[in-house]
Amino acid sequence: MTRYIAKRFLLMFPTLVAVAVLIFVLVRVVPGDIVELRLVSGGMFVTKEVVEKERIRLGLNKPIWQQFVDWMVGMVRLDLGTSMWTGAPVSQEIAIRLQLSLQLAFMATLIAVVLAVPLGALAAIRRGTWIDYAVQVFSVAGLAVPSFWLGILLILFLLTYFQWLPPLTFTSLWKDPRANLLQLIWPALAVGYRYSAVATRMTRSALLEVLREDYIRTAWSKGLAERVIVRRHALRNALLPVVAVIGLEFAFLIGGLVVTEQVFNLNGIGKLFVEAISRRDYTLIQGLMLLVAFAYVAVNLVIDLLYAWLDPRITYG
Amino acid sequence: MSTRRSGGRTVRSAGLAFLVGILVIGLLASPIPAQAPKPGGTLTYVVSAEPPSFDAHRETTFAMLHPIRPHYNLLVKFDMPNYPKVVGDLAENWTISQDGLTYTFRMRRGVQFHDGSPLTSRDVKASYDKIIFPKGDVVSVRQATYEMVEKIEAPNPTTVVFRLKWPSPSFLANLASPFNWIYKADILEKEPRWYERNVMGTGPFKFVEYVRGSHWAGVRNENYFVSGRPYLDGYRALFIRAVAAQVAAVRSGQALIEFRGFTPAQRDDIVKALGDKVVVQEGGWLCNLLVVFNVNRTPFSDARFRRALTLAIDRWGGSRALSQITLLGPVGGVMRPGSEFATPDSELVRLAGYGRDIGAARAEAKKLLTEARVPEGFEFTLKNRNIPMPYEPAGVFLIDQWRQIGLRVSHVVQETGPYLADLRGGNYEAGIDFSCDFMDEPDVQLHKFISADRSPANYGGYTDRVLDRLFTEQSRTRDPEKRLQLIRQFEKRVLDEKAYQIYVLWWHRIIPHWTKLRGWKMGPAHHLDPDLQDVWIAD
Repeated sequence: MTRYIAKRFLLMFPTLVAVAVLIFVLVRVVPGDIVELRLVSGGMFVTKEVVEKERIRLGLNKPIWQQFVDWMVGMVRLDLGTSMWTGAPVSQEIAIRLQLSLQLAFMATLIAVVLAVPLGALAAIRRGTWIDYAVQVFSVAGLAVPSFWLGILLILFLLTYFQWLPPLTFTSLWKDPRANLLQLIWPALAVGYRYSAVATRMTRSALLEVLREDYIRTAWSKGLAERVIVRRHALRNALLPVVAVIGLEFAFLIGGLVVTEQVFNLNGIGKLFVEAISRRDYTLIQGLMLLVAFAYVAVNLVIDLLYAWLDPRITYG
Repeated sequence: MSTRRSGGRTVRSAGLAFLVGILVIGLLASPIPAQAPKPGGTLTYVVSAEPPSFDAHRETTFAMLHPIRPHYNLLVKFDMPNYPKVVGDLAENWTISQDGLTYTFRMRRGVQFHDGSPLTSRDVKASYDKIIFPKGDVVSVRQATYEMVEKIEAPNPTTVVFRLKWPSPSFLANLASPFNWIYKADILEKEPRWYERNVMGTGPFKFVEYVRGSHWAGVRNENYFVSGRPYLDGYRALFIRAVAAQVAAVRSGQALIEFRGFTPAQRDDIVKALGDKVVVQEGGWLCNLLVVFNVNRTPFSDARFRRALTLAIDRWGGSRALSQITLLGPVGGVMRPGSEFATPDSELVRLAGYGRDIGAARAEAKKLLTEARVPEGFEFTLKNRNIPMPYEPAGVFLIDQWRQIGLRVSHVVQETGPYLADLRGGNYEAGIDFSCDFMDEPDVQLHKFISADRSPANYGGYTDRVLDRLFTEQSRTRDPEKRLQLIRQFEKRVLDEKAYQIYVLWWHRIIPHWTKLRGWKMGPAHHLDPDLQDVWIAD
């Protein structure tokens, strides 16, 4: 097992390097220039000399290969470089936002799991009854309603009926838990609902499949209680695909809540992503893409390990 | 049946719009009750973008001014209640020599930086040397604005002298630029780029914290040189990019104002929700949308075709319609309508595309198309920014106007990066361009139109030495009447005879804010507003 983890860990590096090369090329293919965006897009008059001077300062006049080598040398030293827009270290720019994004991802996941597993199981056990139909309507609605739209509705509801809006600035959970939760519970609900819909459907279908297995039939014939059959024998096996879905959704939440973060004015990774791309902040885009790639690779590793825990038949020799 | 229902909706919508309009007018008309300024409180406001750096000398965006300007002072500044009057900020008074070549400023005494060190003329000289004569890798985007300056002197701690190469009527106003913050000479000497990431000024508020992506905070400077100011204990600028979230922030009272501007619909939303808790300030905005033609492409190289394109636009009708739904509004020429050098409507209507009889103008446009051998149904593309307000509605409006003279125009909407790259690289036929300035000054507004080899802001690619000559002459003419004549000649050549670039409409600024926010008067430029020195919060 330890060997397997070490192997998977080492495999992360070539994956991340391949991603880095791809990102480096792709961001430079997109037309637009950070210097012009910064100095000219406001509609004011700036001379060509000033634009050129700034380009030199940012190293954009160097050949592409040299820019890539500079970046990779920095990566070896665990230095993601500095943001071309703000001049602050990329790691610092990301660190400021990561706490919020991670907390929101955890909260949304928690809401999703708390809703999805019991609802999905209930729908499977009571297949064809009104409970099953109600759960299906609930989950289909969750899939159909974009989380940002639900977020807008939540904000309008709070504004219209309570003349109240969640706090607009982030406060750390450790500093002021109340202010923190007052800000993040609403986006977590909006995101968690959609997330739970995906997981509910997956739980239901996976459990239905397991419930048809021979060993479950054997359990029934042995006269075991329904609660024991479902909890001890069926659900654990059915959770394998659910864990995969939850894991991938979690990785998506790290950088994918672009619109929801805008709606709730959350200072997260998704919002930073949009800003970095719209400003053509190459170094920041590269850093963020690597973070997302790392999140996916790491989550996949965790999922694989969870598989082994959930199903003792799975071994990584 | 459906027509009747639709009509009913229209009537209801019109009725609702009328009621909201009455409410807005009522709020505008009802004066805020007079009250003595009250010290204390923290002002929270929205800023719709974030500062790239903290150094105003190198940036062009309001996003840096709105949160950081309260930490600094200028040498002179615009007196906002009496704009465009210039008054002293760090300068107590000044004299201008008879030949207009020497400006001597006497500084206020007792001004201190936030670290307690005294401000002297040396600091002013060092700051302006950085702006006008930057050294090494220091970037100053306004260097070219001060090409008339020969040198700056600080003969004693309380006197600063600017010596010019030629007289410039715009020079004093240029010194009132909200970007010309006065920095500390000692710091600039040691590290010229220190101010890009740090704050040290003499302004009414000291720096507290900046959390990227979240907020900027300042606290009252107890040693501020203006007695009794600032009134506020502090301020907090919230960075909110999404417009809906900005409106929600104001509606909820978490922010009292956004200093840049809202659309009519957003204004109505806030007014409807807050009633008499909110007041609306409106007025002309020193921003506009233009159309620039690539004269290196046929038939845009033909002045007759360009004239036909401007003649086809019903600016007066467009103004009435678009001002209901966008922040576009006033019809104007090269200078902002209502400003000192603006062409009055009675003269404006004589320019191509500004006449009141749109039928006659379009008939003339069609005639010009025939003369220029442009066939009916000729197709071209209009490049535009993907910013919904006001660029996209303006693009739709133009396409409709040109359709009415038989032209078929495709709307190519691009992200700002590729859009700027295409305009600057000449990869376009017609494009919506824009300008946003901080003051009404012909040197600033006309610069865009002079030959492309002199102005990097001219994307049309044309060379016109007549325009260049007129620009230089007006720039150095101290007699306002004579200067006005030169500006009119310039305007006629750009917009009418050659139609190199044409205006769509100027912008209309709308700021709804909580009534309890006092001591702030909206100006024509969002760059000028908040030093927060005189702002206070009522009960």
